[in-house]
Amino acid sequence: MEIPLAQEIIFGLVIGSYIALGAIGFTLVYGLVNMINFAHGEFITVGAFVGYLAVVFGGLSIPVAVVVALAITAIVGWVIARVTFEPMNEAGAVPLLLMSIGLGLVLRNGFRVIAGPSRRTLPRDVTTYRFDDWGFFVTSQQLFIIGVTLVAVVVLHVFLSRTMLGIAMRATSDNEDLALVSGIDTRRIRNAVWLAASGLAGVAGVMLAVSQSANPNVGFGQLLLIITAAILGGAGSPYGAIVGSYLLGIGITVSVAFLPSGLTELNATMAFVVLIVVLLVRPGGLVNAEVRTS
Amino acid sequence: MSRKETVGTDRRTFLKVTGTGALTTITLAGCIGTEGDGNGGNGGNGGNGGNGDNDSNGGNGESPDTVVVGQPGSLTGTWDFLQPAASDATDLAVQQINDAGGPLDAEFEVNRQDTTVDPQQAREVLRQFIDSDGVAAINGLYSSEIEPLWEFIQEQQVPIITPWPGSTYLDTRGGDKGTDETDDDEWLWRTVIGDTVHTAGAAEAMIDQAGVERMGILSATSAGEEGWTRQFTSWYEELGGEIVEVISADEGQSSYQSQLNELFSNDFDAWALSFALEDAITILRNWEDGGYGGQLLMEDGLRDDSLIDEVGEQAEGAWIAAGSTEGPNYDQFLSSYEEVSDEGLHPWAVAAYDATNIIALAIHHAGETSHEAIQQSIGAVSRPDGTTVTTFAEGKDALDNGDKINYEGAVTDCDFTEHGNVWGDVVVERVTPDGFETEFTISGDDLQDEIDEY
Repeated sequence: MEIPLAQEIIFGLVIGSYIALGAIGFTLVYGLVNMINFAHGEFITVGAFVGYLAVVFGGLSIPVAVVVALAITAIVGWVIARVTFEPMNEAGAVPLLLMSIGLGLVLRNGFRVIAGPSRRTLPRDVTTYRFDDWGFFVTSQQLFIIGVTLVAVVVLHVFLSRTMLGIAMRATSDNEDLALVSGIDTRRIRNAVWLAASGLAGVAGVMLAVSQSANPNVGFGQLLLIITAAILGGAGSPYGAIVGSYLLGIGITVSVAFLPSGLTELNATMAFVVLIVVLLVRPGGLVNAEVRTS
Repeated sequence: MSRKETVGTDRRTFLKVTGTGALTTITLAGCIGTEGDGNGGNGGNGGNGGNGDNDSNGGNGESPDTVVVGQPGSLTGTWDFLQPAASDATDLAVQQINDAGGPLDAEFEVNRQDTTVDPQQAREVLRQFIDSDGVAAINGLYSSEIEPLWEFIQEQQVPIITPWPGSTYLDTRGGDKGTDETDDDEWLWRTVIGDTVHTAGAAEAMIDQAGVERMGILSATSAGEEGWTRQFTSWYEELGGEIVEVISADEGQSSYQSQLNELFSNDFDAWALSFALEDAITILRNWEDGGYGGQLLMEDGLRDDSLIDEVGEQAEGAWIAAGSTEGPNYDQFLSSYEEVSDEGLHPWAVAAYDATNIIALAIHHAGETSHEAIQQSIGAVSRPDGTTVTTFAEGKDALDNGDKINYEGAVTDCDFTEHGNVWGDVVVERVTPDGFETEFTISGDDLQDEIDEY
């Protein structure tokens, strides 16, 4: 039986949404702070646990828990960055990278020690909407995940294009030295970037806790896809990260239908094949420099 | 510098730094062993390991003050959800053994260390047990650790009784080959039935009991899950069933909806799921969300109370085929276990209780703590020859009276085959929101006729 392409695209949009929420923050940090944050997955995990605590112990609804996780993870991420990364700001990319790897390991194992082996899942109330004439179904949970991501994307766009802080961020991303001599407080910009990136990671964490569970590995498990989406879209470009995430998500799901039986586990590999092809054709990623900095 | 050049330089830097980071992460993860499923490699010869004659264990013929047994476990990692019950069951056995005076009238201790079910880390833990801690025997190890470390394990010549591995790899390996010599021994015993047995039972249940003639399978790519899928497929097809599609998927995905959609584009009577718990929960939720329906059969590793807690309602009506927990001494064990633990029981926890008792009885039977003497005593205290005992206390009394003993376990009768394996019943249970309810049982005696070598 042939599987409707529309269904696979819906599934791909859901997976792409998970990835996008992580990839936007990851690429913001790279673009403005000039560091590869391998602990970004653990920021997502913080969001997952905050979301779980807010719903199960705080009695909050999941939409409210998303806001709480955004705020708390933003603060946690900012504090961590102030304590660990900012003092090493002048040390160069590789020491910062190693710091982020070490921090990720410490946080991940810290979660294990504190949280233990039990799975922590959020209560579910899912409705499935069927569109048989169109050949697909979608659940209320999937719509929620896609919707939250779209809201985040729109807010980000408005922030970057319509606010002074956002415009200053883009200026700093283009040329930090020039921004500094132009009177932009780059220290304030860096703080804003850490808050935004960590907050988005927190939202991604709640989304993953909704579909999987809050567990010590939930964020780290997404890191490879997040980095891939960021590269695919064009490192440092939030818009590129969004495009890359959705392409990756759709690639992963659609390829399941085309791969022969017994080789379906190669679906994620096929997404990376797409990455390689794109980079060969467009080494700067899908969203080029002009778009990124316009 | 032009913008294009700047971007190009940034990209090179990004890729270089990201690549360095990825390599470093992989290296660190391998060294520290934080993730559960690395392969780790074989690791070479790894030294001799000695006989464990340290101060605590005493020398041959002398009565030690303390006898230490090593327990490699999954305190963290993919399978960590199974460890708490296994630890509690082991500790219960230790308490009962010490209440009865201990083997050789010594204090019996279990030293538990985390391997995360990573072969490299398991190797280091075994080294520490043998070289530093001087353990008399070892109680543990998973299939994913045993297979890559098989040569290393054989070189150590330390008796290992494990409650975990179902791997078909051990069907013709391990045990004492039924002889009194140790030259042909393979030093590893298991107190759970192997995949060969319970997949045969599952296939028979689906064909003969449920009348299911066509099945699809959704399987993880990990060694244990692929092994289950391969073995089940083999038995099912041998009995006349048809596997119409096997969809494989990597673990850790945020959604398995497209894999389910692909699987259910086929026509079949029932489908099987071979995944570890974390992903299985995601899959079962995706299954319910999609309204795919159909009878579901799950692999034995999912027989855990956590599954009921998480998806008892969504998976209601699904079947799970696993080794029976209820051996000859189960009721007696259960009443004691419930006094000391709130952890949900699973077959491996009950098997850990048996493994601990057999080790203690073997040490007492050996009259010393040398590895060779203990290895030679394992079959002697458990095979059907002598007075039947169900606890260490009964066994110690009988041995002190000069009797031969036959330990009957809580999960099986522990009558080891020459390859160190045990037989047991296979139970097919139905998932309900309140727990697992028995649908039907396939007798281990019936399955022995179908399995050639085990």
